[in-house]
Amino acid sequence: MSEVQRRKYSQEEKNAIFDGEFMPHIDSMYNFAYRLTFDEDDAKDLVQDTYLKAYRFINSFEKGTNAKAWLFRILKNSFINEYRKKSKQPAKVDYQEVETYYNSDDVDFQGTTDLRAESVKDMLGDEISNALNSLAVDFRTVIILCDLEGFTYEEMAKILDIPIGTVRSRLHRARNLLKDKLKGYAQHMGYNTDEEE
Amino acid sequence: MDMKEDSSGQRKMQCSDVSRCFQLLESILDGEMGDGGKDILQEKLDKCQPCFEHFHLEQAIREVLKTKCTKQSVPVELAQSIREKIQDIK
Repeated sequence: MSEVQRRKYSQEEKNAIFDGEFMPHIDSMYNFAYRLTFDEDDAKDLVQDTYLKAYRFINSFEKGTNAKAWLFRILKNSFINEYRKKSKQPAKVDYQEVETYYNSDDVDFQGTTDLRAESVKDMLGDEISNALNSLAVDFRTVIILCDLEGFTYEEMAKILDIPIGTVRSRLHRARNLLKDKLKGYAQHMGYNTDEEE
Repeated sequence: MDMKEDSSGQRKMQCSDVSRCFQLLESILDGEMGDGGKDILQEKLDKCQPCFEHFHLEQAIREVLKTKCTKQSVPVELAQSIREKIQDIK
């Protein structure tokens, strides 16, 4: 994906790739863009920009390879370079800071006894969605890529330009943070916990 | 990681290395451990209560994420608008 391979597609081939391999991912792309920006217009612009870039650089896409991962990488880079600054969401904590903080072992999730699988299954879509949306963008992103979109660690490493080991540990931390949020909802909503069977 | 058999045949109530075990379980759930993951998983689920609970909790969270967070409906005009812009730069 990173090495630019020069080839020349004919106009017909370009159209076929664009329609056959790029456009089918528009739902996933929009969902990702919306969960990054929290704004319908920004999400539309982001997806549109991504597809225009994809078309412009179509010669560096190798036909038959993973178009979805290729598109997600472009979208992620566009978001970081252009949208993150003007995004309507309030400024988030600097990622490096977050990662360092949560790197310590003592924040490992200890709440398996408080948060039960059954409580999670009973939660409403909005609660799940809000919990996910409340995570800092880098943690939110790995969960979206892995759990919503089903990318492998290797694909995620390429999309995010980070080593696989970092994908694994960032995911683990993201999931711990998400469980903390869900636990909060479970307690707040009285979904608890040990008594119900 | 503690792979020793528990002689009682019951699940042990304490996990000796929660951090590593949970991370491993998550990798297995993510399909990153191949076939080797299945044996490790079975061993963990049979022998360790915290691992058993963590696995089912993680599984439930993945399910609700997948079923409840992917339903953002795409604006109908978006695909058309993209195609028109592509026509312009062709």
